[in-house]
Amino acid sequence: MELLRAHFVPVALDQAYERREQDAWGEFYRAFAKQGPRADMQATTQGFYVATAAGELLLYNNNRNPEKLLRLLREARERFASSEASRVEVAPRPRGEREARYAPRPPEGGLVLRVRSQVLGGYPEPTDEVQRAMQRSLGRDNLWLTRDEHAELARGAFPASALERLARFHFVDNTRGEPPMWAKQEVRTLHARIVNGVIEGRFELATEKDAGEARRYHGELRGRVEVRDGVVTRCDLVALGGFRGEGRYTQHAPPGEFPFAVAFELADGQALADAIPPQGSRGWVDGYLRPR
Amino acid sequence: MRAFVGALLLSCDVAAQIARELALDDARFSALHAQLCAAPPETWESVPWRIDLLAAQQEAAAAKKPLFVWAMDGHPLACT
Repeated sequence: MELLRAHFVPVALDQAYERREQDAWGEFYRAFAKQGPRADMQATTQGFYVATAAGELLLYNNNRNPEKLLRLLREARERFASSEASRVEVAPRPRGEREARYAPRPPEGGLVLRVRSQVLGGYPEPTDEVQRAMQRSLGRDNLWLTRDEHAELARGAFPASALERLARFHFVDNTRGEPPMWAKQEVRTLHARIVNGVIEGRFELATEKDAGEARRYHGELRGRVEVRDGVVTRCDLVALGGFRGEGRYTQHAPPGEFPFAVAFELADGQALADAIPPQGSRGWVDGYLRPR
Repeated sequence: MRAFVGALLLSCDVAAQIARELALDDARFSALHAQLCAAPPETWESVPWRIDLLAAQQEAAAAKKPLFVWAMDGHPLACT
């Protein structure tokens, strides 16, 4: 990590945005990404890239082995240091307007909640450290609430629209990759109420029983809400229940039903990740805020 | 018959154990919330990531450093 801090400018991004954007951000991303092996911008281009400020690709790698990545980074650093690129002046690229759909902002007057998820058991004994880390990993996301939902929550009621968003886009097992979300008809049971600042609820989400990738998550919801002068100052939530199944990009779930939890807390905007749009809003914020 | 009753009682025990593990009372809520939301930072979180690619390009040009771009399906900082 010291190598990254001292010798690189580290950037983290969701390439599903940058490879599609018709603006200066997209143009710069595609300029170096197209020099790599994943040059088709209609498909995923995920991986690690090292590029010069002028857009010359020095390294592409999609291997998660930390030792291999470290070795490749050292080589890329040496290649950069000995190249003309480390000495020439490069102008900052003009920014212009960013394509709005790829730079969504949280609803004005609404709330952002940090979301964390974890598989609590059920995995077989790990065979190596990478697998051990994967089994313990936390899923991360952000939840957006609208101004009206914020106001309703502050009045002591759990907004139905927010509850549906919570379930469909955030009661997902994203601990091993990009998860499938829940369709409207897959929400079998969902209710929550607030009594004296305590949230209680129950939920059951399930795909069709005969679906090829059958999934189910059912359990309880509990939380605390605090309000000061009409503004929600605390919104801690936990969903706990049994989860079964996996998605195309979240393979190797524990066999059968396993305990799974999702927790929420109000974001204070101090963490860089608080600015990241919810995964479920990607490409269609309206569909996330007003799901059909 | 004894084997059947034994297996039935065992499966009832397992079901009861799972139900206990998944019960969400106040204490379990607080413990789980702390476990997930107050987890110690992971190593990759110590890197000063930028999330604006063009701002990073400007910085790299000024500092004469290369960019390291972690590009994933889903944002690495908030969908991992």
